[in-house]
Amino acid sequence: MRSLSGAAAVALATSLVTACVPEEHVLPGLDDPQIVIDFTDQVVVPTYALLAERVDALHTSAEALAQAPSDATLAAAQRAWIAARVPWEQSEGFLFGPVNSFGYDPALDSWPVNHTDLDAVLASDAALTPELIANLQENQKGFHTAEYLIFGIARSKTAAALTARELEYLTAITAELAAVANALANSWTTSVDGNPPYRDLLAGAGEDGNTAYPSLSAAVQELLDGMVGICDEVANGKIADPWDEHDPDLVESQFALNSIADFQDNLRSVENVYTGAVPSAGTAGRGLGSWVAERDAALDARVRSGLTAAITAIGAIPPPFSIAITDDAADDELEAAQLAVRALQATLEGELQPLVLR
Amino acid sequence: MRASSLLLVLGCTACLDGIGEPGVLPLAGGATTVIDRSSNAYSFPAPNLSDEELDLHLEGDVAFEAVFVSPPATINPGLGPVFNNSACNRCHVRDGRGLPVAGQGPLGSPLLVRVSASDGKAVVPGGPVPVPGLGLQVQDHAIFGATPEAQVELAYDEVSGRYGDGEPYTLRRPRISITLANGEPLSAAVLSSARIPPPVFGLGLLEVVPDDALRELADPQDGDGDGISGRVNEVWHRAESTTRVGRFGWKASEPTLLQQAAAAYANDMGVTSSLFPEEDGSYELALETLTSAAFYTQTLAVPARTALEDPDVQQGEALFVDVGCVACHVETLETGEHEIDALAQQRIHAYSDLLLHDVGFDLADGRTDYFASAMEWRTAPLWGLGLAQTVLPYAGLLHDGRARDLAEAILWHGGEAERAKEAFRTLPASERAALLAFLRSL
Repeated sequence: MRSLSGAAAVALATSLVTACVPEEHVLPGLDDPQIVIDFTDQVVVPTYALLAERVDALHTSAEALAQAPSDATLAAAQRAWIAARVPWEQSEGFLFGPVNSFGYDPALDSWPVNHTDLDAVLASDAALTPELIANLQENQKGFHTAEYLIFGIARSKTAAALTARELEYLTAITAELAAVANALANSWTTSVDGNPPYRDLLAGAGEDGNTAYPSLSAAVQELLDGMVGICDEVANGKIADPWDEHDPDLVESQFALNSIADFQDNLRSVENVYTGAVPSAGTAGRGLGSWVAERDAALDARVRSGLTAAITAIGAIPPPFSIAITDDAADDELEAAQLAVRALQATLEGELQPLVLR
Repeated sequence: MRASSLLLVLGCTACLDGIGEPGVLPLAGGATTVIDRSSNAYSFPAPNLSDEELDLHLEGDVAFEAVFVSPPATINPGLGPVFNNSACNRCHVRDGRGLPVAGQGPLGSPLLVRVSASDGKAVVPGGPVPVPGLGLQVQDHAIFGATPEAQVELAYDEVSGRYGDGEPYTLRRPRISITLANGEPLSAAVLSSARIPPPVFGLGLLEVVPDDALRELADPQDGDGDGISGRVNEVWHRAESTTRVGRFGWKASEPTLLQQAAAAYANDMGVTSSLFPEEDGSYELALETLTSAAFYTQTLAVPARTALEDPDVQQGEALFVDVGCVACHVETLETGEHEIDALAQQRIHAYSDLLLHDVGFDLADGRTDYFASAMEWRTAPLWGLGLAQTVLPYAGLLHDGRARDLAEAILWHGGEAERAKEAFRTLPASERAALLAFLRSL
């Protein structure tokens, strides 16, 4: 579970405060509501729908594994886990709204795994009812505990090594994971407890009576904060923290060795927000980028090339990431990846934000 | 990178000034103010911190997000054995409010229930009396292998009313049922009070308003006959073993942010500290962690107002004064001296006097807390109020989150605020809308 890091918060606050000269408020920034509507309906909603679909598939594959453990069913569960990570990581460029306020982010994606409590439950004879699973702490369920059970340390798991109790536990937590992913997707599209779907609040930014986004610019700021926040998180959190400490335990997706794909999908999340499209879901709308291109084609080109450069640089880190952070020979690639993401972040903050939020 | 950006902010504050000047942005938090109307608006560090202070703030940010787990563990051990939630930010979502939710879902229990006995021996002088088996708070979660103290269920009863012009409205009154671990309902003799987590930005400024300034605002016997009293709560300061002015919490029952943070670690998460140790004097939370978490809440920036050019907002601001809201929701306070320069001698617009006021039977919880009576609550600061549902979609307002929007929150007021509430209720619709527009601009 993550929030805007301090460095990004300082940078955002600063760039916004410096825009406080009164006459600047009257100059038009982004004034096309279609961009926020399409961000909502063509990017966020389909990303979460894809997440729900793929987490459902993960649960189905976990059940198949539990019913007939074999290297084939284990490999299928591993593939399903990796497939489900794609829409999740591609949603991290917009970590606001129900994913946060309803606690779905920690429920889905808490790490590091709490082995003490996991082992205690596995060693007990407690019935793994939905109520018991609901009571457990997030660090012993969700994506990463499922990852640990399916992949083992550094992908060493074999079907024969899975105990019946582990398989029972795995299906219990993938069932909850699926319930949470579906609740997250539904929170954007359907009314919860008499409240309007979150989709209506964001897409209706600036409409009378909208208490969440009373102005279009508040919603646009939300988009920008999300893009900047995940760049900061990848460069200065996900890469920097384990690398600075040379500690593989701090690596996200360390069991599946999927970290580099995770980070790339985080940057694709930024790309999806910018372009208003989700290629993996087959959706597309009027993106922020098209509005930028109409006003400053060179800036649009810089954002797009910055995105490509960042995704490429992350992909050049020698896998697996958990080994690279302890291997001096990988330092150049790690640094290059960090720099590429930071350069993109600087473009978003220093150039894109002043254009759209003035 | 950080130092240079801070200078820009300081340079900018000169172009902004106080309240009430047309075309000038009022700095709600003085030089700690930031401009952002997104869901991150409560989460920025004060832009005028020194480099060292910013580092400590960022350490505190990590502490505020740290998820505690059952002992023994290598990272953040100490949760429970019973608790309401496992991390500060699980309840204070994006440093703002928490939803009025309790139970076993992914949110944990942001809504918690304080309890006390009507007589007996208090834990600290003047404080509430613990209930045998429960203490001062119902912890409705437990680590694996332990049993929660109780289950808390929340339901609502609809309450209908009409504005002066005949327009109907509906409020919802919460009904809390508590079932103890043994299956019995909580005795009706136990005093109980449900609360949602309040926002945590700007608190350092409130801590630095001098005691004398609050005593000067207080009018315990309503000596000026305006129908508004206002009392200082006097509460136990654990580190100094003496009584101090209470400032934090819904009933101003904690004197400092350090003690407030320690109380939350102990009561909400079951994590002991030097201020709230185990019975044998040992504790789980390092003092540095507690200090940094408290520092984080001292130094979060205050978001600036918005929509100042909107004529409705301007009209609403005048109505806020005319109707009498400002008698308690005092617009401006001045902070005093403090070791954190960023907080010292700031002119702030919190819209609170930090005093206890009787706001009537309908909001009363029936539970006293030091000098706070069953009907008294501390005037809630209104700064950043317009962002409440941006930061936390569907956020509820008031101490138990019963109000679904700003109008409902006003309509629940009674007691000393009855006259202001009635004035609002009987305003023409357009003026009610203007007053609400002003509140949304905060």
